[in-house]
Amino acid sequence: MHVARGCPQVFFKFFVALLLWLTLGTTYGSVRSEYEVKAAFLYNFTRFITWPAPSVEGDALTICVFGSNPFGDVLQQLNGRVSQGRALQLDFPTSLQESDRCQVMFVGGGKARDLAEIIDYATARQILTISEISDFVDAGGVIGYVKEGNVIRFEINQQAAQQSGLQINSRLLELAVRVIR
Amino acid sequence: MSERWRWQYWPLRTKLLSLTVSITTLGILLVCTSLVMVENRTYKEQLESELHVIADILAEQSAAALLFEDSEQLNTIISSLDQIETIEQVCVYNVGGEVMSALNGTGYEPCPNLDVEPVEGFLGDYYRLLEPIVLDGEVVGQFYLMSRLEVLRNHIWTFIVISFSVGIGILMLLIWVASRLQRLITEPIVELSNAADRISHEYDYSIRVPVYGKDELGSLGNAFNEMIGTIQQQNQKIVQSKDDLERTVAERTSELSLANRELEAFSFSVSHDLRQPLRAIEGFGAALEEDCRDLLNDVGLDYLGRIRAATVRMGSLIDGMLVLSRVSRQAMEVESVDLSTMLSEIVQELQDTTDAVPAVVSIQSDMHVVGDERMLRIAFQNLMENAWKYTSKNEKRVIDVSACEKRNSITIALKDNGVGFDMKYVDKLFVAFNRLHTPAQFSGTGLGLATVDRVVRRHFGRVFAESPIDSGACFYVEFPSSERG
Repeated sequence: MHVARGCPQVFFKFFVALLLWLTLGTTYGSVRSEYEVKAAFLYNFTRFITWPAPSVEGDALTICVFGSNPFGDVLQQLNGRVSQGRALQLDFPTSLQESDRCQVMFVGGGKARDLAEIIDYATARQILTISEISDFVDAGGVIGYVKEGNVIRFEINQQAAQQSGLQINSRLLELAVRVIR
Repeated sequence: MSERWRWQYWPLRTKLLSLTVSITTLGILLVCTSLVMVENRTYKEQLESELHVIADILAEQSAAALLFEDSEQLNTIISSLDQIETIEQVCVYNVGGEVMSALNGTGYEPCPNLDVEPVEGFLGDYYRLLEPIVLDGEVVGQFYLMSRLEVLRNHIWTFIVISFSVGIGILMLLIWVASRLQRLITEPIVELSNAADRISHEYDYSIRVPVYGKDELGSLGNAFNEMIGTIQQQNQKIVQSKDDLERTVAERTSELSLANRELEAFSFSVSHDLRQPLRAIEGFGAALEEDCRDLLNDVGLDYLGRIRAATVRMGSLIDGMLVLSRVSRQAMEVESVDLSTMLSEIVQELQDTTDAVPAVVSIQSDMHVVGDERMLRIAFQNLMENAWKYTSKNEKRVIDVSACEKRNSITIALKDNGVGFDMKYVDKLFVAFNRLHTPAQFSGTGLGLATVDRVVRRHFGRVFAESPIDSGACFYVEFPSSERG
């Protein structure tokens, strides 16, 4: 390393630091965090999916987070929002038996081993299962988050949805990275 | 030449035709214009609704992709608009107003910023619309579309061209029909006008116009025919009465000239034939006085003298009648006559032959009239002798002759300081054998002024007189100053 010309080197370091700061700053400023996007998606999924037995008008749509909650407080903003005329309601059941009232179930990362049991349970009760566990749809889940680089996308298992009696809007199917039919 | 082109000089059928053409043109123009306006409006509305439908469909399609922030999908959706050539720009905004996807046509104009409300509707060559993308009643983004109006412009231009071509075609057809139909009106009028022309130029009142229909033109034709019929009848009457009149005048004239000739012959022969016995009386009277003077006493001699004097008077009467007859019959030789010289000669003769009353006679020099010199001499001789005679009892004789020339006449005034006459009898002054004085006062035949009157009348002039009380008499002779003299 040449240390002879100190002045430009200091300047260069400073320049890189400035660049980094600026890039990171703008990135944090404009781009939402991964779970903010996923939470927004979660809400949006409910808008394109029709449940087989429409409950009484004004009945709440319960979104359950089963297992560990990766969203933190972000999910709280969904509480009280309206999707297809139904108010959203958050629930955090600790066991499958408590998940009866759920219409949407987000399966946390820690439940990967109980997946078969959870999916059977959900299919029987017409619960929309969503998870970020990899290959969730191949295992029989309805919607699974995937990450392509920095972009959050999703996959859909239409077979599973049909078995659960859920109707998925074709517009949503068009947007999926992969659809299992 | 340019006057020929003025409205007043146009023939009736041109006027009617141009009236029809202008009204028709105006009508067609208005119809075409309103059609174009309606079409423009309808087409705009149609275009607008089409674009709105497209925007609605695409907004509905892109709602999901917008929610999941899938720009690729959005691009796929709006790239379907590539099929529509007139679409210039399409932009899809998310709920925050950021451009999620854009489709640009030929221009490189960036998508408008939604912070300020973008222009919408028809502006310039573009139509712009901004529609909210709604999902379940919630606005999830905005859809912006900008379309070129070439198609609209082309369509309207085609429509204008077609409608105006059709309009011109209809106009031609209407002009042709109008040029046929206007004959219904113009033909009777033109025939009427031609008939009136011919009648006024050829005086042929037997012309009649054909009568078409029962409208105003028909009644006009009827009235015209009746009028011409009336004129024809009246004309015949006039011509007939004129012929009658001429015949009557000719008859009267020939009767009159016959009577005149007879009268003149009578007058002449009387004068002439009376001379012979008169000469005998006079001759034997003179012989009696000469040869038998001693046999007669004074009373006899006095009677004889009276007989002889009467024969002299009768002789002069006969002379006067002969002169009067001659000036009435004689042919005129018209020339310029120097009246001043003639009057001087007459005065000279009178001064030489009559009484010795001192006379002051002034005659205006250089008086000229046109006429027969011998007749004029007779007339002025008579007038001057008259003046001389009626001033013979004065101490001094003053006679003044002057001329007054007007534009078309010349008047000779002969003024004396004699006894004059009573203006009561001025009408009888120029009538033959009428005398205002007795032979005892002044001798005379009563034919002198009648002769003057006859001469002046033959010169187409007139003679008149006036006599202010106690200042003599003044005789005026007026000649027209025309060539006929």
